[in-house]
Amino acid sequence: MRLATFTSLVALALLGAVAPAPAQTFVFGAQGEPVQFDPAVITDGISSRITRQVFDGLVKYKGATTEVEGALAEKWEVSPDGRVWTFRLRPNVKFHDGTPLDAAAVVWNFERWWKASHPQHDNQVKAGQTFEYWEAQFGGFDDQSIVSAVEAVGSHTVRVTLKEPQAPFLANLAMFVFDIASPKAVERWGTDFGKHPVGTGAYRFVEWKPNQEVILEANPDFWGPKAKVKRVVVRNIKDNSQRLGALKAGEIHGMEGLNPDDVAVVKGDANLQLLLRPTNTTGYIAFNYKVKEFQDKRVRQAFAHAINKRAIVDALYGGTGMVASQFQPPALWGYNRELKDFEYSPSKAQALLREAGRGQGLSEITWDDGKKEPLIFWYMSRSRPYFPNPKEIAEAMAADLAKAGIKTQLQTTEWAVYLDKRKNGQVPLYMLGWTGDNGDPDNFLCYFFCQPGAAREGFYTNKPLADVLLRAQKLTTLADRAKLYRQAEQMLHDDVGRLFIANNQPPLAFAKRVRGYVPHPTGSEYFNTVELQ
Amino acid sequence: MRRYAIRRSLTVVPVLLGVSVLVFSFVHMIPGDPALTMLGERATPEKVAEVRARLGLDRPIWQQYVLYFGHVLHGDLGVSVVRGDPVTTDLLRRFPATVELALAAIVLAITIGIPIGIGSAVWRNSLLDSLARLGALTGVSMPIFWLGLMLAWFFGVQLRVLPTGFRLDSGTTFVPWTNFVMLDATLQGDWSALADALRHLVLPALALATIPLAIIARMTRASMLDVLSREYIRTAEAKGLSRQAVILRHALRNALLPVLTVIGLQVGHLLAGAILTETIFSWPGIGLWVYESIESRDYAIVQGASLFIAAIVVVVNLVTDLLYAAVDPRIKYE
Repeated sequence: MRLATFTSLVALALLGAVAPAPAQTFVFGAQGEPVQFDPAVITDGISSRITRQVFDGLVKYKGATTEVEGALAEKWEVSPDGRVWTFRLRPNVKFHDGTPLDAAAVVWNFERWWKASHPQHDNQVKAGQTFEYWEAQFGGFDDQSIVSAVEAVGSHTVRVTLKEPQAPFLANLAMFVFDIASPKAVERWGTDFGKHPVGTGAYRFVEWKPNQEVILEANPDFWGPKAKVKRVVVRNIKDNSQRLGALKAGEIHGMEGLNPDDVAVVKGDANLQLLLRPTNTTGYIAFNYKVKEFQDKRVRQAFAHAINKRAIVDALYGGTGMVASQFQPPALWGYNRELKDFEYSPSKAQALLREAGRGQGLSEITWDDGKKEPLIFWYMSRSRPYFPNPKEIAEAMAADLAKAGIKTQLQTTEWAVYLDKRKNGQVPLYMLGWTGDNGDPDNFLCYFFCQPGAAREGFYTNKPLADVLLRAQKLTTLADRAKLYRQAEQMLHDDVGRLFIANNQPPLAFAKRVRGYVPHPTGSEYFNTVELQ
Repeated sequence: MRRYAIRRSLTVVPVLLGVSVLVFSFVHMIPGDPALTMLGERATPEKVAEVRARLGLDRPIWQQYVLYFGHVLHGDLGVSVVRGDPVTTDLLRRFPATVELALAAIVLAITIGIPIGIGSAVWRNSLLDSLARLGALTGVSMPIFWLGLMLAWFFGVQLRVLPTGFRLDSGTTFVPWTNFVMLDATLQGDWSALADALRHLVLPALALATIPLAIIARMTRASMLDVLSREYIRTAEAKGLSRQAVILRHALRNALLPVLTVIGLQVGHLLAGAILTETIFSWPGIGLWVYESIESRDYAIVQGASLFIAAIVVVVNLVTDLLYAAVDPRIKYE
């Protein structure tokens, strides 16, 4: 190339202003790289953000709630015994490859998830993938599953028979993993389907540039409200500050994963707006019940009175946190509004410790094999939605505990090691949390408390609580179930089984001209409602 | 020289073998179970055991190494734990981005660093020298991630004249052939894509170039000062040669020999620096890939990429040594 041309190109490059994203393209900044786009085998939020645009399920969550409404199924009925579900599919819906969405396609999808011998299940397993959520939500594969039959009873009617009633059945089906894929495309691409996703969604998949971006374009034949923005680009920007920089520079229109300190920055910027995801996440402190001191309820109560949750939430959540009094976040229908939280009172905490015969305070613990050691309080090394600043939050709680005479030593380790130690019940006192998958209280409570004495739960044993939760799983009336979950929360509270610290509403930041983005508690958000003004 | 070249090249084999053992052991020594990282809060003991068996982590470590090394010899660096894609293919796809960035950085470092070093030595103790020394000291001690963020903030967010990350604008329709985007844009005659790529390259290249630039400037200065005090320079000056001729023809050629070694050594630093720079600027090369893989504990990628980077450093050092012997006739290796 001639020097003059080259020089002018350099000058053009250096002086030319950054091209703003075209008006008909919505650019979203994601926190990392998707894994792949086969909804049946993915488990992460970054991948499912894309699949939710490309695919639909039989049912979906309504607006910003976890209430279920029809999607590919227009309506459904359930038999009086709660075992037989009949779904009537929307007519004239086509996959992006032109094949029809009919009962046969839905049955094919169910069989792929459910039957280990299905060729498109078997090949995934051999390639190292798992149908993890099917297994978790529907009890396993083949005969182990709670599903006993899935049949087409007409061109657009599907009947699913369960071995026994499953209360969260519809809420489970609304999860992104049970979105319906084009059987023809899955058969064509096999284990590579995750790179060539074909569904019925408002957007069609165009291209995935690894480590860079995913491009989608509006599906003109979409059965529901048509996409308002013709093109969507989801860019992978790993670093939180860098992502915010790109938003401020006008290179992207929206993002998730704000540092708590940056919430104020977004609020103070006239060109930006802050949206909050309805809370669906709870951070807690767990006791290890192999520690003799923690077997005394008065000691646990002392902890509960010693921690000033309000101050922690106000100071360290960037204004997006809420004090938690129980495990379920307030948006869940099993939430117990009557439950009265422990008040913050260092003097009460001290009195309880005295009552428990620990008037001089607590700084050393005794494991049940007699081994004594200083009380180590473990916190995680990476930010989680429920504890966005784990180190600072741990320091604040340790300072509160010290005021009541409980001296802890803070310790952390790499995330995988942390989970390992927790799983094996090796940590005496630790922070952790949970983010809900489907808006059902069972998803919060049963995973933790249906198996009394599990090492991963610090050997916490509360059989009556487990019985209540298992009973709630089988009932079909929402009101009856809600009553049991409220009861479960009260039991957990009365026993001070855990200390629930905070719920968080993960913040999202957008350019002011973005309209119609509806944050959802599960993170399942649809781009077809988004407008650029 | 030929015997030396052969002997020196042969030393690469045990070095690479050693590197493979080290990389493999380090990756496996890191505490924490990859299976657990993958499963997160939802891990159950059965699931963890299943994933461990699938990844072969339940076998003795020496067996895992022997298997791995056998595959490496066939150019197979394994399969990503998280994504299931072949590591070698992904590595080769991402490598051009890193090479492009590293080349731009080293070119910047050389074209700016050497003239500064020369000027600094020739006008020793002048204002220029003081400024250059201060600049070099700052450059060496500045953390790349901080500098990168500042550059992006100032030129991207405040002035909005340069993009804050990536190789091309979002949603671009340009399709690279080789993934050397600048080369591809030139070959395809797509000048707007070339300008786009250049604009995206400026800030990351500047951030990555800072440390090598400072080191090269300092080395050139020291080496020039040493050469300028030699007798043959005085002889040349006494012969009545112009100052320019003395500096460029007599001093510089000799002074650049140690600088050449330093430049060779910078390749290792550049590849290490690329991890930070690529992360800050979302540059889709090996660095960003390794960073993400460390986080997701994708040990197959970390292992494969580390081995690959180590091999490059070893080979570049070999080439530097051979070049050194070739350009400096005084040096004889026996």
